[in-house]
Amino acid sequence: MIGSTLFYAQRLSAIFLLGYTVWLSSFFLFNQPLEFDAWSVFTDQIVFLIITSLVSLIIVIHSFIGLWTIGTDYFTSRTLGFVSPAIGKYANIIRGAYSLLFVLWGCVVIFILLFTIWS
Amino acid sequence: MSINHNRARPVYINLLQIKLPISAISSITHRLAGIYIFFVTLPLSLFLLYFSTKSYNDFMFISSLLKDSILFSTFVAFSFLVFAYHILTGVRHLLQDMHIGESLEASRVSSYIVFFLWSVLVAAVIWRILL
Repeated sequence: MIGSTLFYAQRLSAIFLLGYTVWLSSFFLFNQPLEFDAWSVFTDQIVFLIITSLVSLIIVIHSFIGLWTIGTDYFTSRTLGFVSPAIGKYANIIRGAYSLLFVLWGCVVIFILLFTIWS
Repeated sequence: MSINHNRARPVYINLLQIKLPISAISSITHRLAGIYIFFVTLPLSLFLLYFSTKSYNDFMFISSLLKDSILFSTFVAFSFLVFAYHILTGVRHLLQDMHIGESLEASRVSSYIVFFLWSVLVAAVIWRILL
Protein backbone atom coordinates (compact mmCIF):
# COMPACT_ATOMS: atom_id res chain seq x y z
CA MET A 1 0.00 0.00 0.00
CA ILE A 2 1.09 3.59 -0.57
CA GLY A 3 2.71 5.12 2.51
CA SER A 4 0.72 8.34 2.36
CA THR A 5 -2.56 6.37 2.39
CA LEU A 6 -1.46 4.67 5.62
CA PHE A 7 -0.31 8.02 7.02
CA TYR A 8 -3.68 9.69 6.38
CA ALA A 9 -5.68 6.60 7.45
CA GLN A 10 -3.79 6.68 10.76
CA ARG A 11 -4.46 10.41 11.36
CA LEU A 12 -8.09 10.46 10.20
CA SER A 13 -8.94 7.38 12.28
CA ALA A 14 -7.23 9.05 15.26
CA ILE A 15 -9.44 12.15 14.87
CA PHE A 16 -12.57 9.98 14.58
CA LEU A 17 -11.64 7.99 17.71
CA LEU A 18 -10.82 11.22 19.55
CA GLY A 19 -14.30 12.54 18.73
CA TYR A 20 -15.89 9.28 19.91
CA THR A 21 -13.89 9.41 23.18
CA VAL A 22 -14.97 13.01 23.81
CA TRP A 23 -18.61 12.04 23.13
CA LEU A 24 -18.53 9.09 25.58
CA SER A 25 -16.55 11.05 28.20
CA SER A 26 -19.05 13.92 28.11
CA PHE A 27 -21.89 11.42 28.65
CA PHE A 28 -20.12 10.00 31.74
CA LEU A 29 -19.27 13.48 32.97
CA PHE A 30 -22.89 14.73 32.79
CA ASN A 31 -24.37 11.49 34.21
CA GLN A 32 -22.63 11.22 37.57
CA PRO A 33 -23.24 8.96 39.40
CA LEU A 34 -23.95 6.61 36.51
CA GLU A 35 -27.32 4.86 36.68
CA PHE A 36 -28.26 1.68 34.82
CA ASP A 37 -31.33 3.29 33.20
CA ALA A 38 -29.50 6.26 31.71
CA TRP A 39 -26.66 4.00 30.56
CA SER A 40 -28.93 1.45 28.84
CA VAL A 41 -30.98 4.19 27.16
CA PHE A 42 -27.72 5.68 25.87
CA THR A 43 -26.31 2.35 24.61
CA ASP A 44 -29.62 1.26 23.03
CA GLN A 45 -30.06 4.33 20.83
CA ILE A 46 -29.46 3.75 17.12
CA VAL A 47 -26.82 6.54 16.93
CA PHE A 48 -24.70 4.72 19.53
CA LEU A 49 -25.07 1.36 17.75
CA ILE A 50 -24.10 2.71 14.33
CA ILE A 51 -21.20 4.88 15.51
CA THR A 52 -19.84 2.14 17.81
CA SER A 53 -20.01 -0.38 14.94
CA LEU A 54 -17.99 2.06 12.82
CA VAL A 55 -15.61 2.54 15.74
CA SER A 56 -14.95 -1.21 16.01
CA LEU A 57 -13.67 -1.17 12.42
CA ILE A 58 -11.76 2.11 12.80
CA ILE A 59 -10.06 0.97 16.05
CA VAL A 60 -8.74 -2.09 14.22
CA ILE A 61 -7.48 -0.03 11.24
CA HIS A 62 -5.80 2.48 13.59
CA SER A 63 -4.26 -0.29 15.72
CA PHE A 64 -3.11 -2.29 12.70
CA ILE A 65 -1.15 0.64 11.22
CA GLY A 66 0.34 1.57 14.61
CA LEU A 67 1.34 -1.96 15.58
CA TRP A 68 2.64 -2.73 12.09
CA THR A 69 4.84 0.40 12.27
CA ILE A 70 6.18 -0.67 15.68
CA GLY A 71 6.89 -4.17 14.32
CA THR A 72 8.89 -2.95 11.33
CA ASP A 73 10.72 -0.41 13.52
CA TYR A 74 11.73 -2.63 16.43
CA PHE A 75 11.28 -6.30 15.52
CA THR A 76 14.08 -6.36 12.97
CA SER A 77 17.37 -8.28 12.95
CA ARG A 78 19.22 -5.06 13.84
CA THR A 79 17.21 -4.30 16.98
CA LEU A 80 16.47 -7.86 18.12
CA GLY A 81 20.12 -8.73 17.41
CA PHE A 82 21.03 -6.40 20.25
CA VAL A 83 19.22 -8.73 22.66
CA SER A 84 21.00 -11.73 21.15
CA PRO A 85 22.38 -12.35 17.62
CA ALA A 86 20.70 -15.78 17.71
CA ILE A 87 17.31 -14.14 18.21
CA GLY A 88 18.14 -11.55 15.55
CA LYS A 89 18.38 -14.31 12.93
CA TYR A 90 14.73 -15.16 13.50
CA ALA A 91 13.54 -11.53 13.40
CA ASN A 92 11.30 -12.07 10.36
CA ILE A 93 9.60 -15.08 11.94
CA ILE A 94 9.15 -13.23 15.26
CA ARG A 95 7.68 -10.21 13.45
CA GLY A 96 5.37 -12.50 11.47
CA ALA A 97 4.12 -14.19 14.65
CA TYR A 98 3.61 -10.80 16.29
CA SER A 99 1.66 -9.54 13.24
CA LEU A 100 -0.49 -12.68 13.22
CA LEU A 101 -1.18 -12.20 16.94
CA PHE A 102 -2.48 -8.64 16.61
CA VAL A 103 -4.47 -9.35 13.42
CA LEU A 104 -6.25 -12.27 15.14
CA TRP A 105 -6.75 -10.18 18.27
CA GLY A 106 -8.23 -7.39 16.13
CA CYS A 107 -10.75 -9.85 14.62
CA VAL A 108 -11.72 -11.04 18.12
CA VAL A 109 -12.19 -7.41 19.26
CA ILE A 110 -14.48 -6.56 16.30
CA PHE A 111 -16.53 -9.73 16.87
CA ILE A 112 -16.98 -9.22 20.63
CA LEU A 113 -17.78 -5.51 20.31
CA LEU A 114 -20.40 -6.05 17.57
CA PHE A 115 -21.86 -9.02 19.47
CA THR A 116 -22.05 -6.99 22.70
CA ILE A 117 -23.81 -3.94 21.33
CA TRP A 118 -26.21 -5.64 18.90
CA SER A 119 -27.26 -8.59 21.11
CA MET B 1 40.51 11.23 5.65
CA SER B 2 41.59 7.95 7.19
CA ILE B 3 39.11 5.49 8.56
CA ASN B 4 40.01 3.22 11.43
CA HIS B 5 39.01 -0.19 10.11
CA ASN B 6 40.16 -2.00 13.23
CA ARG B 7 37.58 -0.41 15.46
CA ALA B 8 34.54 -2.65 15.91
CA ARG B 9 31.59 -0.91 14.36
CA PRO B 10 28.16 -1.40 15.89
CA VAL B 11 25.96 -3.82 13.99
CA TYR B 12 22.94 -3.72 16.28
CA ILE B 13 21.05 -0.80 17.70
CA ASN B 14 21.24 -0.58 21.50
CA LEU B 15 18.13 1.41 22.33
CA LEU B 16 19.23 1.67 25.96
CA GLN B 17 22.53 3.38 25.09
CA ILE B 18 20.98 6.13 22.99
CA LYS B 19 20.23 9.16 25.15
CA LEU B 20 16.73 10.15 24.12
CA PRO B 21 15.52 13.76 24.17
CA ILE B 22 12.24 14.48 25.99
CA SER B 23 10.27 14.62 22.72
CA ALA B 24 11.53 11.13 21.79
CA ILE B 25 10.52 9.80 25.22
CA SER B 26 7.07 11.30 24.60
CA SER B 27 6.92 9.53 21.23
CA ILE B 28 8.10 6.10 22.41
CA THR B 29 5.81 6.10 25.46
CA HIS B 30 2.94 7.00 23.09
CA ARG B 31 3.73 3.79 21.21
CA LEU B 32 4.05 1.69 24.39
CA ALA B 33 0.72 3.10 25.61
CA GLY B 34 -0.80 2.16 22.25
CA ILE B 35 0.28 -1.48 22.68
CA TYR B 36 -1.09 -1.52 26.24
CA ILE B 37 -4.43 -0.07 25.09
CA PHE B 38 -4.85 -2.61 22.27
CA PHE B 39 -4.09 -5.62 24.47
CA VAL B 40 -5.42 -4.51 27.88
CA THR B 41 -7.62 -1.37 27.94
CA LEU B 42 -9.63 -2.45 24.88
CA PRO B 43 -10.62 -5.94 26.18
CA LEU B 44 -11.23 -4.40 29.63
CA SER B 45 -13.61 -1.87 28.04
CA LEU B 46 -15.39 -4.70 26.20
CA PHE B 47 -15.73 -6.58 29.49
CA LEU B 48 -17.17 -3.49 31.24
CA LEU B 49 -19.49 -2.68 28.31
CA TYR B 50 -20.76 -6.26 28.06
CA PHE B 51 -21.64 -6.67 31.74
CA SER B 52 -22.82 -3.10 32.37
CA THR B 53 -25.42 -3.37 29.57
CA LYS B 54 -26.38 -7.05 30.08
CA SER B 55 -28.81 -6.59 32.97
CA TYR B 56 -29.43 -4.46 36.04
CA ASN B 57 -27.88 -7.11 38.31
CA ASP B 58 -24.74 -7.34 36.19
CA PHE B 59 -24.49 -3.53 36.18
CA MET B 60 -24.71 -3.50 39.98
CA PHE B 61 -22.12 -6.29 40.17
CA ILE B 62 -19.64 -4.24 38.10
CA SER B 63 -20.34 -1.09 40.07
CA SER B 64 -19.89 -2.87 43.43
CA LEU B 65 -16.69 -4.46 42.11
CA LEU B 66 -15.39 -0.97 41.29
CA LYS B 67 -16.38 0.30 44.74
CA ASP B 68 -15.21 -2.61 46.89
CA SER B 69 -12.15 -3.97 45.15
CA ILE B 70 -9.25 -1.51 45.37
CA LEU B 71 -7.24 -3.86 43.12
CA PHE B 72 -9.84 -3.86 40.34
CA SER B 73 -10.57 -0.12 40.54
CA THR B 74 -6.84 0.66 40.46
CA PHE B 75 -6.41 -1.59 37.43
CA VAL B 76 -9.33 0.09 35.64
CA ALA B 77 -8.11 3.58 36.59
CA PHE B 78 -4.56 2.79 35.45
CA SER B 79 -5.78 1.34 32.13
CA PHE B 80 -7.86 4.43 31.34
CA LEU B 81 -5.07 6.77 32.45
CA VAL B 82 -2.78 5.04 29.93
CA PHE B 83 -5.51 5.66 27.34
CA ALA B 84 -5.68 9.34 28.37
CA TYR B 85 -1.89 9.57 28.02
CA HIS B 86 -2.08 8.10 24.50
CA ILE B 87 -4.72 10.68 23.59
CA LEU B 88 -2.76 13.64 25.01
CA THR B 89 0.49 12.69 23.24
CA GLY B 90 -1.59 11.77 20.16
CA VAL B 91 -3.16 15.24 19.98
CA ARG B 92 0.35 16.70 20.26
CA HIS B 93 1.46 14.55 17.30
CA LEU B 94 -1.64 15.53 15.29
CA LEU B 95 -0.89 19.22 15.86
CA GLN B 96 2.69 18.67 14.73
CA ASP B 97 1.43 16.88 11.61
CA MET B 98 -0.50 20.08 10.88
CA HIS B 99 2.81 21.97 11.25
CA ILE B 100 1.86 23.46 14.62
CA GLY B 101 4.69 23.50 17.17
CA GLU B 102 7.15 21.68 14.94
CA SER B 103 10.34 23.47 16.04
CA LEU B 104 12.80 21.78 18.40
CA GLU B 105 12.00 24.19 21.22
CA ALA B 106 8.21 24.02 20.76
CA SER B 107 8.38 20.22 20.63
CA ARG B 108 10.30 20.16 23.91
CA VAL B 109 7.85 22.56 25.59
CA SER B 110 4.77 20.66 24.34
CA SER B 111 6.24 17.38 25.68
CA TYR B 112 6.44 18.96 29.14
CA ILE B 113 2.93 20.41 28.79
CA VAL B 114 1.58 16.92 27.96
CA PHE B 115 3.42 15.35 30.93
CA PHE B 116 2.06 18.10 33.18
CA LEU B 117 -1.55 17.73 31.98
CA TRP B 118 -1.36 13.97 32.43
CA SER B 119 0.10 14.33 35.95
CA VAL B 120 -2.84 16.57 36.87
CA LEU B 121 -5.21 13.89 35.55
CA VAL B 122 -3.39 11.15 37.49
CA ALA B 123 -3.58 13.24 40.68
CA ALA B 124 -7.30 13.86 40.12
CA VAL B 125 -8.00 10.13 39.63
CA ILE B 126 -5.97 9.13 42.71
CA TRP B 127 -7.88 11.77 44.67
CA ARG B 128 -11.19 10.37 43.39
CA ILE B 129 -10.25 6.76 44.30
CA LEU B 130 -9.10 7.66 47.81
CA LEU B 131 -12.10 9.92 48.47
